[in-house]
Amino acid sequence: MTETVLNKTQTAASKAGHTGPLLQVEDLRTHFRTIDGTVRAVDGVSFHIAGGETLAVVGESGCGKSVTSMSILRLIQEPPGKITGRILFQGTNLLDLSEKEMRAIRGNAISMIFQEPMTSLNPVLTVGRQIGETLRLHQGMDEKQAEARAVEMLDLVHIPEAKRRVREYPHQLSGGMRQRVMIAMALACNPQLLIADEPTTALDVTIQAQILDLMRELKSRLGSAILLVTHDLGVVAEMAERIVVMYAGRKVEEATARDLFARPRHPYTQGLLGAVPRLGSSLEAKGRSRLSEIPGIVPNLKKPIIGCAFAGRCPAVTDICRSVAPAVETKAPGHFAACHHAPREAVAA
Amino acid sequence: MLAYIARRVLATIPVMLIVAFFVFSLLYLAPGDPAAVIAGDQATPQDVERIRASLGLDRPFVVRFTEWLWRIVQGDLGVSIFTNLPVSHMIAQRIEPTTSLMLITIVLAICIAVPMGVVAAWKAGSWIDRAVMAFAVFGFSVPVFVTGYVLAYIFALQLDWLPVQGYTPLSEGFWPFLENLILPAIALGSIYIALIARITRATMLEVLAQDYIRTAKAKGLGSRGILFLHALKNAAVPISTVIGIGIALLIGGAVVTESVFAIPGLGRLTVDAILRRDYPVIQGVVLLFSFVYVLVNLAIDLLYTVFDPRIRY
Repeated sequence: MTETVLNKTQTAASKAGHTGPLLQVEDLRTHFRTIDGTVRAVDGVSFHIAGGETLAVVGESGCGKSVTSMSILRLIQEPPGKITGRILFQGTNLLDLSEKEMRAIRGNAISMIFQEPMTSLNPVLTVGRQIGETLRLHQGMDEKQAEARAVEMLDLVHIPEAKRRVREYPHQLSGGMRQRVMIAMALACNPQLLIADEPTTALDVTIQAQILDLMRELKSRLGSAILLVTHDLGVVAEMAERIVVMYAGRKVEEATARDLFARPRHPYTQGLLGAVPRLGSSLEAKGRSRLSEIPGIVPNLKKPIIGCAFAGRCPAVTDICRSVAPAVETKAPGHFAACHHAPREAVAA
Repeated sequence: MLAYIARRVLATIPVMLIVAFFVFSLLYLAPGDPAAVIAGDQATPQDVERIRASLGLDRPFVVRFTEWLWRIVQGDLGVSIFTNLPVSHMIAQRIEPTTSLMLITIVLAICIAVPMGVVAAWKAGSWIDRAVMAFAVFGFSVPVFVTGYVLAYIFALQLDWLPVQGYTPLSEGFWPFLENLILPAIALGSIYIALIARITRATMLEVLAQDYIRTAKAKGLGSRGILFLHALKNAAVPISTVIGIGIALLIGGAVVTESVFAIPGLGRLTVDAILRRDYPVIQGVVLLFSFVYVLVNLAIDLLYTVFDPRIRY
């Protein structure tokens, strides 16, 4: 049974003639029905990821970036949630698949690592069992093969004494080690896409750097594309090739990492970048010593937002911002922003 | 681990001492005089006094308690006032039906209650969940003897599927043995099932909200794997605790159930002994029940280590 589903999705995945991006998200809307109204956690977001590419989705807490990533794997509880739009993975719309077909993709072609390594591993099962589980499920390995492969995976993520560790339980490992185990688990089946939801947020800074190094190393070795969800612009700068900035459930800007950091177009992105502390900045000229902040708070997602979602906090706000929602427009080649006032570069004809 | 077991076994001694003290003094304080019961209606006060002296009932409490305790420690539960048989002998005769009834009830209850609680938690808020919860409230509120008589009326008298009452030893075949115990086990187990189902549901609800369940989903596991491996193993500690504590319900319920279904077990023995004020028998049975209860809960504490590797003794 599972076998046929597997084959089906694998053929679907390696469908000849599929030339588009690995993942194409179109007009994704994830709404939650609650007692006091519908929460529009994600409201019409589109982006794509090419094979082997790293795309970062950034934004502050509650902007819908985690919900976006959970929606791709359809890990949103439905109801109360409702996902609409299209999520094309190698040309197949994941929203059309049955739950069973979806299960054959989760942990196999697309896998995910989470923010909290402390609580994301099952405390009562050995690490080897948890890594081996995916292999037994998706690759039909028996217990022995799965354990041998789990040892290899632990080696791959640089956990010393993998043979011994594979029989240990999560509480016997440090936070950094647990995140390595999560990564090993996610990569066990060689996924084409790895979704990393705040993978380093819960870790110490030194451990963060190690985990980022590891992710970069494994990416170049295994060739998986990465969808990196984070609020940490430092992490983004180190990892991502392209960046999508989200605000209040919408995409406000998208550009290559280089472009975005050099010439942010949207006032929100400019605000975000201005709020990042830099070492040595206090030694610079007077007036540059204070971190800027974005005044105000995120709008209530239970009410439909009229106009630009950022209007209430924007320094450059005008009347049109409060009445007409800006469309995501090309501001420069490969650089998109949803702002009425963001300057547009003249595109050579 | 071994040291822990030794310590726990030693710790049962004071517990058992306290139980022994209560067992002994409660009956001492209870109204009614066994000497008068034995002597009968026609006896003169002198007769009663003589019987009381011969039973040693006229000596001080502390002396009697110490003597009694000393004999118990040596394995001598005394002699029944009524039948003149050794209490240990009377218990041995009655232990099989009660043990069988309890074991069947426990197995039946776990097999019914745990899946019920798991499904209720998984489908929380659905009609299945509400049905399970309604059943749990019902199971709690209807007393054993009512359930027992209703079950016997429907399944034995009206439908004639199972015997009304009685007991057949296991040595006379498994089916006749089981046949007689199904209705009593359901009657006795209904409160127990309700208790376990409720705790299973509550614990599972909590576990299912944990991050590692989301991880398991993200790995592509189906609901069966998630529920019965990832979640249930995490929920096992509270559930097994309640299974252990609930044994007390079964002990109390067995007394009633055995009377309703005319099962010649320890429960009946207890009731008869209480009616006759047969002190040594009552004391022996209550001590045995307490001892079993303490041991079962010790076993469950040790079982925790199997479910949760973080628990080490």
